[in-house]
Amino acid sequence: MTYSLIAVPFLAVAIVLSLATTRTLPAAARRRRWAATGLAAAALLVLTAVFDSVMIAAGLFAYADGTRLGPVVGLAPVEDFAYPIAAVLLVPAVWTLARRRGARARVMRTQRDDD
Amino acid sequence: MTGFAYLVALLVSIGAMTLIDARWRLAFWRSPVASAIAIGAGTVLLVVWDLAGIEFGVFFRGDSPWATGVLLAPELPLEEPVFLAFLCYLSLVAVLGVERVLERRGAVRGAEAPDASDLQTPGRSTDAATRPDGRHA
Repeated sequence: MTYSLIAVPFLAVAIVLSLATTRTLPAAARRRRWAATGLAAAALLVLTAVFDSVMIAAGLFAYADGTRLGPVVGLAPVEDFAYPIAAVLLVPAVWTLARRRGARARVMRTQRDDD
Repeated sequence: MTGFAYLVALLVSIGAMTLIDARWRLAFWRSPVASAIAIGAGTVLLVVWDLAGIEFGVFFRGDSPWATGVLLAPELPLEEPVFLAFLCYLSLVAVLGVERVLERRGAVRGAEAPDASDLQTPGRSTDAATRPDGRHA
């Protein structure tokens, strides 16, 4: 149980930020962002199943007994799949916000230069 | 020497990702500052998540012959933040790459106009992809 509970606040941050950001996009861009997020997430989940299993088999890290829900894909515990889901939601959202901020700063700079 | 296998594999993967990024100008070759902020923020969140897991005793470093054995914190190997940064970079390139494909398909069909947010005023953009001199910040 412990591992899945730890994931909750981090997933929540990613989901909230992603929803808040996509809401501000124009309709076409918003549809494209969600479609791209879904397809990218599917690819990332497959990659996680493969490479997480490889990394666990290589002995890079291990899990304590009694902290996991139990189900695994290959060797990867289901809780590990929360990492790529959080990343695929959070990172493009922050990118969009940071990019918009940069564009606004540029416009303000340009306006000042034009004065 | 095999102790560097995992770290080198990660760095090679990041290198390959930058080639994809550069070839299609998806992330750093489009908005370098935004890409750095986004991947930095994602990596920080995932490292904190890792530290929480370590604190609660969920996972610990294995005794792998493929890892350097260098630790940044108890049970947190040097390779872990590199891996998490790679995961964030991969996520960003994947989403922006699929968006590009969808956008192109939409443009070919003529079904939808490109986003206003992606329309650049010539000469005012600082995006490397559209800068006249072609140099990157």
